Amino acid sequence: MTERRVVITACAAITPIGHTRGEIVESLRVGRSGVKPLREDHLLSKYIHSQVFGSVDYPIEYDFKRTHRKTMGPVAYYACQVAKEVLEASGLAQEFVTSGRLGVAFGSTHGSPTVQREIYKTFFGGSRSEFSAIGAVDYLKSMVHTTAVNITRMFGITGRVIASGTACTTSSQSIGYGYEMVKHGMQDAMICGGADEYDTTTVAVFDNLLACSTAFNDRPSRTPRPFDVDRDGLVVGEGAGAVLLEEYEQARRRGAPILGEVIGFACNNNGGDLILPNLAGITETLRIGLRDAALSPDRVDFISAHATGTKMGDIIEAQAIHAVYGDRPMVTGLKGYMGHTMSTCGVIETIITLYMMAEGFIAPTLNLEKPDERCAMIRHTPALEAQPISIAAIQNFAFGGVNTSLLVKRFV
Amino acid sequence: MTRDEITPAIMEIFQREFEIVNPDLDKDLRETYGFDSVDAIELLLEIERLLKFELTHDEKKLAMDIRTMKQIIDYVELMAGRKDR
Repeated sequence: MTERRVVITACAAITPIGHTRGEIVESLRVGRSGVKPLREDHLLSKYIHSQVFGSVDYPIEYDFKRTHRKTMGPVAYYACQVAKEVLEASGLAQEFVTSGRLGVAFGSTHGSPTVQREIYKTFFGGSRSEFSAIGAVDYLKSMVHTTAVNITRMFGITGRVIASGTACTTSSQSIGYGYEMVKHGMQDAMICGGADEYDTTTVAVFDNLLACSTAFNDRPSRTPRPFDVDRDGLVVGEGAGAVLLEEYEQARRRGAPILGEVIGFACNNNGGDLILPNLAGITETLRIGLRDAALSPDRVDFISAHATGTKMGDIIEAQAIHAVYGDRPMVTGLKGYMGHTMSTCGVIETIITLYMMAEGFIAPTLNLEKPDERCAMIRHTPALEAQPISIAAIQNFAFGGVNTSLLVKRFV
Repeated sequence: MTRDEITPAIMEIFQREFEIVNPDLDKDLRETYGFDSVDAIELLLEIERLLKFELTHDEKKLAMDIRTMKQIIDYVELMAGRKDR
């Protein structure tokens, strides 16, 4: 099968540290955290030990038609907004968008928990009134592929749909599978990403597993603390991100701005435990990614680590990075800025990597003050470095033992 | 419920739920106003709320061929009559 080059020609993100590229870059430069106190939700929040959340606390001006809004929960609003921004920035012709040659790879952790909560209230509320029935559109708003198909509906996209729902690797898989679609000629372009709305259910799950940060409830911006000796767990966050992957020759012919090139992707499974990080599995992911990109490890100069700030996860990841890359590439855990945006983290971290590639700097790991000695064997980024990135690896790992590595190259 | 009561009530539902103001009584709702299958299902729930009783499965199926406002009003009038009997 012919292998084609795949470039990124547009991107957009909604993150706890900003919406526009300018806002996000500024937050990275000044070390501004998007972690805030957990909001009262009149259901779970009072039972949760971790009282922090990576929050999108700024208004977003949506301009969606009623016919589109009616099947959208909050997660689809996020998804459609970043997809809209990407399509507007791309300059793609409408005929191409609806041609069947553009596909969508987009997902979320579990659809819309806000809508699901309303369904459960109706279902378990004890009311026998037929007039408080579950709405016909509630399923469309809350189903696991709601983000992907609300995007196709809004823009009339008729190509392939991939709706990965693998928790923390959802959007990195979206990019990876979108890359493979375009690389192998099944589609000429793919809108790829993920979204997750504000949700305390996810916090409760990780809280029950003792994986959430609890020691900084009175100082939210000081947590999570990837690789730091005082890290005490992850912080759940919300957000959305989308990238447009496009076949290189098409992008070149139409004069599209090229933000970067996807040159490799790996996805594997640990083949066992569904929760604990696995050194052999993760190490193999990183190696497969390099093989797919036909790169030697020394070619990678920046690693966006998954680094959620959990005790074991960060150690295992540092060991895997050291085993494959040694101590040469600079490593940053971007979750220090915004917590773990779950399904969205892969695409947000990819977009931030593209921004840093364009701006010529590497952001430090926020809250990394004293590296845990068990994580100290890799080259951390303790302060902002004015260093260009040529090739970056973006790593993400999920519950269920799913691991991904994306290799992205600065386009020159 | 009389036809004179039903017509403004349906118009109010269309404005409130579907942002469709004073639709033409005879035009095809899908072609003219983008009223689609999801809207139709939502409308049935609104009709139940209006009539204050639950439609049977067969009664709901009767509504599946409706295309215009006039047909909706006819349908609600028919259902209201069934209740009265």
